[in-house]
Amino acid sequence: MTHERQTLLDSLPSSFDTGPQWLRSVRKSAAEALRERGLPNKKTEEWRFTPVRPLVDTEFARADAEALKLVSSAREGVTVRSLRQVLEQEPARLEGRLALGESEHFAALNTALFTDGLWIHVAAGVTIEEPLQLTHGFSKTTEPGVSYPRVLVTVEAGSEARLIETYAGEASEQLTNSVVEIELGPNAKLDHIRIHENLGLQVGRVEARQEADSSYRSVVVTLGGALLRFDIRALLQGQGAECRLDGAYVVDGSDHVDHHTLVEHQAPHCRSDQTYRGIASGHGTAVFDGVVLVHRGASKTEAHQENRNLLLSDTATVHTKPHLEIDTDDVICSHGATVGSLDESQLFYLRTRGIPEELARAMLTYAFIEEVVDRVSHKPTRDRLRETVLARIPAGEAIRGVP
Amino acid sequence: MLKIEDLHVEVDGKLILKGIDLEIQAGEVHAIMGPNGSGKSTLAYVLAGREGYEVTKGSVTYKGRDLLEMSPEARAAEGVFLGFQYPVAIPGVSNVYFLKAALNALRKHRGKDPLDAIDFMKLSKEKAALVQLPDELTKRSVNDGFSGGEKKRNEIYQMAMLEPSLAVLDETDSGLDIDALKVIADGLNTLRSPERAMLIITHYQRLLDYIVPDVVHVLIDGQIVRTGDKDLAKRLEAEGYAEVRDAIQP
Repeated sequence: MTHERQTLLDSLPSSFDTGPQWLRSVRKSAAEALRERGLPNKKTEEWRFTPVRPLVDTEFARADAEALKLVSSAREGVTVRSLRQVLEQEPARLEGRLALGESEHFAALNTALFTDGLWIHVAAGVTIEEPLQLTHGFSKTTEPGVSYPRVLVTVEAGSEARLIETYAGEASEQLTNSVVEIELGPNAKLDHIRIHENLGLQVGRVEARQEADSSYRSVVVTLGGALLRFDIRALLQGQGAECRLDGAYVVDGSDHVDHHTLVEHQAPHCRSDQTYRGIASGHGTAVFDGVVLVHRGASKTEAHQENRNLLLSDTATVHTKPHLEIDTDDVICSHGATVGSLDESQLFYLRTRGIPEELARAMLTYAFIEEVVDRVSHKPTRDRLRETVLARIPAGEAIRGVP
Repeated sequence: MLKIEDLHVEVDGKLILKGIDLEIQAGEVHAIMGPNGSGKSTLAYVLAGREGYEVTKGSVTYKGRDLLEMSPEARAAEGVFLGFQYPVAIPGVSNVYFLKAALNALRKHRGKDPLDAIDFMKLSKEKAALVQLPDELTKRSVNDGFSGGEKKRNEIYQMAMLEPSLAVLDETDSGLDIDALKVIADGLNTLRSPERAMLIITHYQRLLDYIVPDVVHVLIDGQIVRTGDKDLAKRLEAEGYAEVRDAIQP
C-alpha cells in the first residue's frame, strides 16, 4: 500500500492482481474506461455547474482508515460483514452485486480502488425496527487525502429496514468518494436517511435496484460543503415498485453542492415521487438536476418531481434542471422547479402579529425545508437534524430560542 | 388613542389617500365604509406598516407616539392589530406555533413572563371557542387550505389571543355567509371593551347590523366625505354611495 500523493487518475494501478477473478475483471474494465474517458472537465455536461478541477488536479494520499464505521449493534436477521472478508472467504456471493464497474467517472474510480467496505444483509421476512447507523469520517491527517467507502445493502424479500448514514468531517482538503449500492428484493422496504455534514470534498453515489413491489424511501440532507456532488439513482426494475427521493440542502459562505437524481421506470405500475428543497445564501451555490426516464413498456407509471429553491442573497446561485423522458403512453408524470425569495406578504403577516422581522424570516426559511426534514422517519435523528439545520440557516438561532 | 391628521399616501407614485382626518378614542368602534377603490385597504395597510405605502403628508399619532416611525412588529407590540381582508397562507408554519411566538414576544414587550405550553393551549382553546374555530385548525399551517370563512375566524381568533388596544379590521365580513358573519360579529362584540378601540372597514352595512358602531365615516376617492352615527350606514345601504357622493360633489 502506497501513501504517496497522486492525482486520482494516476493512482489507478496498471494491473489488478488480488481478489477473485470476476472482481479483477470489473476493476480492470473500470480503470480502462476511466483512462480512456478521463475524469470530467468543465465541458462535461453533467458537471457543467460544478467545478471539478479541485478533484481532478489535486494529488491525494489514500486515507481509508477512519472511512467507515458501523454504529449500531448486531441484531437478529441482519448480518454486517466487511467486504474484504467476504471477498476473501465467499467471493462468489458478491459476484454481479458490486455492479457499478463501467459507470461513469467517480463511481468507476471507487470500483477500481476500494479496498474494503461493508455488506449489510437483511434476511428475508424480517422487520428491523431500530435503524442501522453508519458514519463516514476521516483520519486526522493534514495533507489531502482520499477515501473510497463502499457499501452494499441487500434487503431480501418481504423485509423492512432503516439505514441512517452520516458523512461528517471538518477538513476541507479531504475527499470522500463513496458508493452505496442497494438491492431490494420483492416486497422489501428500505428507509434510507443520508446526512452530509462534511465540510470537505465529497462525491457520492447511491444506486437502488428494486424488484417487484419493493419500496425505497430516501431522505438526503446536505448541510453545506466545500464541494459536494451527490448522485442518487432508483432503478424500478420490478412491477409495482415505488420510490420516494426527498432532499434538502442548505448552502452559505462559499459552499457548493450539486444533487443529481435519476429514476428509471423500467417496469409497469411503478410510482416515484421526488421533493427536493434548497436554501441558498451568502456566496453559496446549489445545483439540482433531476431526471425521470420512463422506458418503453413501463405503462401505468406515475412519476412526480419537484424542486423548489429559496434564494436569500444576491450573491448566491441556484441552478435547477428537472427533466422527464417518457417513452411510453399511459403514464401520469409531473415536474416543476422554482427559485424565489421569501414571500413579502407572509413576512408582513407574521410581523403584524408581533413577530420580530429576523424571527419571521427564520420561521419562513425553516418552513421551506421543514417538510423534507419531517420525512425523516427516525425521531431522534429528525430532532437532531432540526437543530443542525437551524444552526445553518440565517437567523435560525432566533427560532431555537423560542420557548 | 388614534389620531390621523391630513394623511396623504402614495402607492407606486399614485396618490390614494388624499387628506384623511380621523380620531378614535379608547372604547369606541368606528366604521369606515366606502366603495371599491376608495382607499380603505390602503388606510389599513398604512396603519399596520406595510412597505410600499408612502406617506407624503400628514401624521398618525397612536397613544401619543408617531405610529409611522414604528416597524410592523413594534406596532403590534404597542397593541395594533390588523385583521386582513385576504389572510395569506403560510405552509409549514403552524398557527399555534407562530401565535405562541407572537404572544410571548408581546408579553415580553409588556414586561410579562412568557406563557408555557399548557397555559398557552388553555388560552388557545378558550379563544378558538369564541369564534367556533375548530381546535384542529389552530394546529394546522397558518391559513393553509382554510376556507374563506375559516380564514376570517382565524383572524379574530388571533386578535382574541393577542388582545390589541386598536384593532383594524379590513373587510372582515367579505365572503362570509350570514351564519359565519354572526359568529364573527358575536366574537367581536365580546372583544369590545372600554380599553379597546376598533376600526371596522367594510363595503357593506350588514356587519354593522350586528356590531353597532359609535361613529361611521364614508371614504370616497381617498377622502372622508361624511361622518355620522350608525344611521349614516343605513342611509348608505338604502341610497348607495353615488347619492352620498353626489350630495357632496353636486
